[in-house]
Formats: sequence, structure tokens, C-alpha cells
Amino acid sequence: MTMLKKIAGIVLMTGACALTQAAYAQQAIKIGVINPFSGPLALYGGEMTRGFELAVDQANAAGGLLGRRIELVRGDASNPQQGIATVEQLVTKDKVDMFTGTYISAVANSASDAAARYNKLYWETGGVARDLTERGLPNFVRSGAYAVSFAARSVDTVRDLIAPSLKKDMKDLKVWIEHEDSIYGTSIAEVQKRMLEAFGTKVVGVGSHSFRSIDLNDTVLRAKQANPDVLIQTGYVPDGNLLLRTAREQGFKPAAILLVGTGDTSETLESVGAASLEGVLMVGWPRTDVAESYGPGAKAFLAAYRAKYKADPIAPQSMAGYVGLQILFDTIKAAGSIDLEKMRAAAAKLDKPEGTYATGFGVKFDKNFQNLRASPNTGQWQSGKMVTVFPKQAVPAGVTLRSLARN
Amino acid sequence: MDQILNVLVFGILLGGIYGLVSIGLNLIFGVVRIVNFAQGELVMFGMYGSYYGYAFLGLNPYLSVLVVAPLVGLLGMAIQRLVIQPLRDEPNMQIFATFGLLIMFQNIMLALSRGEAFSIGGQVGAEVLTVGDLKISVVRLVTLVATTLITIGLHLFLSRTMAGKAIRAVTQDKRAARVMGINVERTFLITFGIGAALAGMAGALLTPIYSITPAVGGNFILAAFAVVVLGGLGSVWGAYIGGLIVGVVEAFAGYYIDPALKNAIWFIIFLIVLIVRPSGLLGQVGAEEVGFREQS
Repeated sequence: MTMLKKIAGIVLMTGACALTQAAYAQQAIKIGVINPFSGPLALYGGEMTRGFELAVDQANAAGGLLGRRIELVRGDASNPQQGIATVEQLVTKDKVDMFTGTYISAVANSASDAAARYNKLYWETGGVARDLTERGLPNFVRSGAYAVSFAARSVDTVRDLIAPSLKKDMKDLKVWIEHEDSIYGTSIAEVQKRMLEAFGTKVVGVGSHSFRSIDLNDTVLRAKQANPDVLIQTGYVPDGNLLLRTAREQGFKPAAILLVGTGDTSETLESVGAASLEGVLMVGWPRTDVAESYGPGAKAFLAAYRAKYKADPIAPQSMAGYVGLQILFDTIKAAGSIDLEKMRAAAAKLDKPEGTYATGFGVKFDKNFQNLRASPNTGQWQSGKMVTVFPKQAVPAGVTLRSLARN
Repeated sequence: MDQILNVLVFGILLGGIYGLVSIGLNLIFGVVRIVNFAQGELVMFGMYGSYYGYAFLGLNPYLSVLVVAPLVGLLGMAIQRLVIQPLRDEPNMQIFATFGLLIMFQNIMLALSRGEAFSIGGQVGAEVLTVGDLKISVVRLVTLVATTLITIGLHLFLSRTMAGKAIRAVTQDKRAARVMGINVERTFLITFGIGAALAGMAGALLTPIYSITPAVGGNFILAAFAVVVLGGLGSVWGAYIGGLIVGVVEAFAGYYIDPALKNAIWFIIFLIVLIVRPSGLLGQVGAEEVGFREQS
């Protein structure tokens, strides 16, 4: 009898546990992740999502949010149409509470629009196109850097790093601006040109090319003829690699080369080689090597990443995604709710100085919910490694700027 | 104006690349009459084969052609036997099937590589020949020479050997060829195999130049189709000359007019050729209609 009671007790307890677990699971805050998980950009979509996963793991380990567990639901989208379809599926089938993403700006555009129809928050950590926030969509918040911050950082780099290094005044400097021809490269190049010209710098040419180009000799030869001191290239990995290789083949050696957006990973190192890359500068998402005083938690992020994925981050998008969701969680805590209006109201009130998060970001949203305290950094290729060299506060101990001239 | 020679040289070198990726496609398109959308993915497989050979076995990318090309050729024969041939009575379905293969091949490589772009260019292929003011990339020069040799070899194969003659006979009239005792199915199998092997060879030869991603084949394929139609369906020299024309036009348009307009300009030329001479520059007049005249 006692035995029976015991068994009955155990059965009941297990049942009760299962019930609480089920209740806990039911209450999970579900975040739909809109990213390319197939197709040519899947690597970066996946990389950003790894950052999301690490942020969620950390938050769940600390007891979740508002007493609820957080759960990510992946939604594959490589083009704007898929973006819409995936949002609809995640809302109706998976019942997600809000969305985050997105490696591709064009997908962010359509997906956030679709999410607005369901009154769901779209928390952007990756897409950089300027119009995403300037549309003034009622459900859109961007915690990460955007086209203007990328352009501004590249122009700062020309002014504070390149011009002094070449011992030239901004007014005497000649710059060629090259960009891939979609909205991403074009929007950054336009701002770069305006800002440089405001300093009196001579923009000797602006060239555009498709990121799928199989030949860039014409582009490189045009730039070479203009004889610039600085070549700025904004683009994706394949076109950036081809441009650098073609420049080398054509003997085009501007005094400084500044890449924007991509060009800081092993993909570029393998293609161009350490010797040809030596001294090349690159504006991109903050990397894990930043000084701890600038990006507190960057080293811890790297350790957590290595522990979970048994490898180093392939690209810095993962840490940007990680920090993006941390800012989202801080917003939810401040709002005490996952109601869209309450979350936006709480986000608008957030005021954290730069240097709060691992990427060096702080939080202060403008009226369009663009985070004004999120900036990319500048790195330099040094002996086959990308190291942070700008801004000053971010530079890790012992690192100095090397000569910009290349072989 | 002093750049004319330079532009001409890199235009011709680019033409070599276009010719190289077009030769295999031309054979398949011109003989088997299949619009093989997956041809670019066969080039992609060639690139990955050569990359993995280099990365894991230290195999020279040019030497790896000897392994990679036959393997991709076998894959091509498998495609012809298992996918194209069973659908021979449904030409539209064949096109959809090759499109399906394109998606499948891309995603297989995506799953295997996570989509990371691979290159060996940092270690090989940096040599540049300097002739006066001209800078000539050695890997591109090698590509042009290889394209020329492959074209000559293929020309000899088609004109001097029985198998080649059978291929030409089937190209001209499938029914008559069958009546003459030619095994049309086997000829198709061989042709698809050779066409695929040439794509694999092209991929291996281009490995030092490009960053390899699962979608890289798509960058070549549109141009390759244009080259094939421009040069003439089923004409070996057509693909070669067509490639050179597209390369040179692209180089001049890109340098002297605007890089953003170069594709538009050579597509205009392509349209004009199609209107004036539908069979292509070197194609047999009427060749473009054979596939439609005879469906069985």
C-alpha cells in the first residue's frame, strides 16, 4: 500500500512538473528571427543569429524576462517577398510576439512592413539602409548602426587617421569613392561624398559596380587614371575581393585603401593574401578585440561564442546581434511588458552612455527610433590579422596604426 | 586614348573567361537542345573541387583539372541519364528540371560550406606580366590559352573522330542520324558528359581568380547564354569568338562609357545579332530551329 502510494505520489508529481513545464513553455516570449538561412548570404544571416542565440541563452540562464523564458523561432528570408511570407507564417503559425533580424536591408523593409500589419515590434540589429528608420514605421526600432553612421565613421577615419598619416590637409586630399550598386552601397556612398566635400576634400570620382561582377578592370583603370590618394570601397565580399586583386594586378596603389562594410574576415584574407592586405583599413561592426573599457563584455562574448560553437566568430555581425538583443531585453525589462506601445515608450526613454555594451554601443533613440549611440569601428589589416585602430578609446592595448602604404 | 591597348588586352582576357564557361554550355545547348540552367553550378562544382583539392591535398589548381573535369563529366552523364532522358518527351519539364538541379546543387554546397566564400587567390595566381605599360595577369592569360587549346581540341574531336561526327550528325538532324544507325541516346550522354566536364574544367581554371560561393555560377551563366546565342548554337568557334566579342565590348563600354552600362550595351549588340542573324555569328543557318522542328 505504501509502495502504491509512493508510486502514485511520484506519478502525480511528475505530472505536476510536466504541467508547470508546459505552462512555462506556453508563456515563453517568442521572437521571430528574419534572416537569410539559405542562399548566398546565409553565412551572415546564420552568424548574426548565433549572436541572438547567445543573448537568449544568457537571459534564460538568468531567469528569463518578466518571469518568462525566451524562445527564438527562425524564419528564412533571402528576398523581400520571402520576408513578407515568413512574417505571416511566424505570426499565424508560430504565434511569435515580436521580430528581429536582418542581414539584408531590402528584406528588413518588407518584413517590418508586414509585421506592422500585425502590430508586432520589429527590432532591427543588422540592416543598415537609411530609409528603414526614416520611414517612421510605428513598430520599427533599430538598435544597431546604420548607413549614415557607416559613412560618418569612414569620413572620420579619412580625417583623423588617413590625412594625418599621409601628412595632408583634408583640402589637399583626393578621394575615389567606389561602391556596389544596390541601395546599401549607394546610400553610404552618397553620404560619404557629401561629408567629404563639406571638408573641402576633392572627390575625384564615384564609381559603381554590381557585387556579382566578374571583371572590375574597367572600374580599377578609371580610378587609377584619376590618381586618388584614398580609395574607399563599400560593398560585399566577392566584389571587394575582386577589386583588391584587380587593383594589385593593374599596379593601382593609392596611398590608402579604406573598405566599408565587408573585408575584415578570412574570406578576404584568403582571396587577397596577407602581404597585399597589409595596411588596408576597414570600417565595420565592432570586433571582439576592442578594449574592454570601450566594449565591456566583448571578451566574455568571445568566450561564450567559442564555448557554444567551438570556433571563433566568422564575422563581427554575431556580436552586433548579441548586443542588439541585449538592448531589446533591457527595453522589455524597463517596459515590464511586451506590449508594442509600452516597449516603444520604454525604448524612447532609454539613455545609456556609449561604452555600455560589448560593441561599445550606448542607447539613445531619435524620433524615428534610430539608436544614435551605435557606431561601427575602423580596423586595419596587420600581418594577416584585423585589429581595431579607431576610434582611440576602442584600440586594444599595444596596438598602433601601421603604415597605410602597401607593397 | 593611351589606354586603348590596355583596355583591349583586358577585354580579350575577359573574353577568354566568357569563352571558357560557354564552350560546355554551347555543346549541351546546341546538340542536346537542353537549356541547362544548372551549367553555372557545374562550373561552381569545378571551383569547389579545385579548392578542396588545393586546401586538403595541396593539389595545384591546374593539375586538379585532371581529376575535377572527369568527375563533373560523370555527374553530367548522370544528369542526362537520370533526369533529362526520362523527360525527353517533355521539353518544358526538362527546363524546369535543370532549374531544380540548380537550386539543389547550390543548397548542397551551402550546407557543406555554410556559405563561407573560399579563395586560394591569396596564395596562388598573383603573378603579373609587365609589358611596357601593360599589366597582364598570368592566371587570366593561362585561362585564355586554355580556352584556345580547348576550342581547337574540341574542333578536332568533332571533325576528325567518329564520336564527334556522330555528335554533329545528331546536331543537324536527330531523325536522320538515327536512321543512319547512330545511337542518339548514347550520343546525348557523351555530349552532356563532355559539356559538363568542360564546365568543371572551366571552374577549376577560374579558381585562382574568384571568391567561391555556392551562388558563384549564377554570375557567369547569363553571359554564357548570351555568348552561345551570339556565337551560334552548336558552333565551337562561335562560343570562342562570341566570348571574345562580349569581353572586348564590355571592357570598352565599361572603361569609356560607364561600368554601370556595360551589360546593357552588349545586350543591345546581342539583340541586334539575334534580329539580323538568328542563328548567331558562326551558327549554321536554320540550326536554331532544329530543336523545334523535331521533338520526337
